[in-house]
Amino acid sequence: MHRPTGWIVLTGTLALAVLMLPFAGLLFATPWLHLHLQAGDGAAIGISVGYTLVALLIVVIFGTPLAWWLARHSFRGKLLVDALVLLPLLAPPLTMGLMLSMVFGPYGWAGEPLRRLGLELTNTPQAFVLAQVYGAVPYFVVTARAAFEGVPQELEHMALTLGRGPWSIFWRITLPLSSLGLASGLALAWVRAMGEFGIVLIVAYFPQGIPVKLWANLQDSGLDATYPLLWLFFVVALPLPLALGLLSRRQPVY
Amino acid sequence: MRLHYRLQHPVRLDVSLRLDGFTVLYGQSGSGKTSLLKAIAGLLPAVGTPWNELPAQRRPIGYLPQGCALFPHLRVWQNVAFALDGTRVWRRARALQLLDNLDMATLAERWPSEISGGQQQRVALARALARQPQLLLLDEPTSALDMMAREDVMGELIDGIRRSGVPALAASHDLHLASMADSIALLHAGQVIQQGSPAQVIHRPVSAAAASLLGMRNILKATVLVSENGQSELDCHGWRLHAAATLPAGTRTGVAIPAEAVTLAGNGPDRPMTVTRLRQEGFFTRIWLQGESLPSLEALLPQTSVGKVGDQCWPQVAPAHVHLFTLDASLIPA
Repeated sequence: MHRPTGWIVLTGTLALAVLMLPFAGLLFATPWLHLHLQAGDGAAIGISVGYTLVALLIVVIFGTPLAWWLARHSFRGKLLVDALVLLPLLAPPLTMGLMLSMVFGPYGWAGEPLRRLGLELTNTPQAFVLAQVYGAVPYFVVTARAAFEGVPQELEHMALTLGRGPWSIFWRITLPLSSLGLASGLALAWVRAMGEFGIVLIVAYFPQGIPVKLWANLQDSGLDATYPLLWLFFVVALPLPLALGLLSRRQPVY
Repeated sequence: MRLHYRLQHPVRLDVSLRLDGFTVLYGQSGSGKTSLLKAIAGLLPAVGTPWNELPAQRRPIGYLPQGCALFPHLRVWQNVAFALDGTRVWRRARALQLLDNLDMATLAERWPSEISGGQQQRVALARALARQPQLLLLDEPTSALDMMAREDVMGELIDGIRRSGVPALAASHDLHLASMADSIALLHAGQVIQQGSPAQVIHRPVSAAAASLLGMRNILKATVLVSENGQSELDCHGWRLHAAATLPAGTRTGVAIPAEAVTLAGNGPDRPMTVTRLRQEGFFTRIWLQGESLPSLEALLPQTSVGKVGDQCWPQVAPAHVHLFTLDASLIPA
């Protein structure tokens, strides 16, 4: 491997330093000797981690086939589908939340019948997960699609001539060969869902996950009340993307 | 086995050929050879027999695409075992056996990226044979091999195919590979224009198109002057030639002569020809000659026997190398 030249080291270090500035500020601002959690902080951590895992599962279940379809098939109007996938990504989170309440809220055209079926999508765990899914799914789809596109179609064709059906080919060829990209997509989706604030704020103020609880702490008790929960947020949110990132940076053996 | 396939896209093809042992489908790049193989394998829409009613995964075909397409995330033995069903122990044993048949068992634990191009091809062959196919399809098997290794690798691959007893169809534009086959089918303009043993096809092209495809550089017209005892004397633009064939006097015929078959003499009965151009090609020199009414004749000669531009000489060709074919005027330069 090449040794990085001087100016790359310099600009790289500079970029890192700038990125780290707010966190350095946080480090110094935190009153380390007088830290104490607010009531409900612990519950917020459980809610964030638990429901994000559920949201992630839903993102993978619905996002993977869509990503695969976009990667492997061309059809008329594909550009339109591309745009549709990007829309939730583009929409400012607050407006995304407003749109979701319009549709899934108590008087929304989908919310009303769903409520009668027992699925209330405002200020419920289901609403919380729904908001996270909308925030995270485009990131996963875009990344997973690129990962699938990176698998040479010739290998899938080869597997077909070796007598394997499409399902078996997906599990034995496509998935292993795109696993690194899929891991990145998963990490991105997790980060998005964990940190989702705008959509969640509108659709599910309760139950309170970490981001909304931070907002509530700030409103109720001031800035100092946000520090402990924020540090704990980093502690619980970082391991998964870090592990997936390490996994995807690991040199493949082949 | 006979095979007949027709496809519209990406190239128009209507191909009918016999599969005898190791058959080479010989044609230029872009003539649709790869598309035909894919169609037979069920990877491109087509109509034809046999197997057209089956989806790709049910066709009894072993396909070796250009570049082998080994699965990079599977070890050599796992690649070979990919098509096998059963317990892991049995699949591994069977894969090792298939690899051993091609003298490759020692590489079983390697990754595809760790073995040479020739070895990859034999792994691909072992993988294709695992399903006990009724036909092997090979796409340009020599294209990825460097000149040094080609002879050995091709020899080993062809031996492996012959030992397996499975008929094979190889698409290629490598005349050397074609000459090692049991049968050559010439693909031109979407059709097989000639098929036979290498001796038959290479020495008796049926048309100007076939001769040109086989790399014969001199494709000319001639008139039969005299014909007796299996020998004909021809007049080819004022150049007198002898061919090992009997044809009625006065017949107009096509003549194909490989550049390698032309020799030069210091004198002769006809008017001499003039050297117009020379080009060094390794141990050989390619020279272009012009006669009084013969526009151009190409010869490939050992370097020692060559003069310079402007020299006069008398080209000669042994009758065995003067290939006659029925005229199809379209391809012959005036």
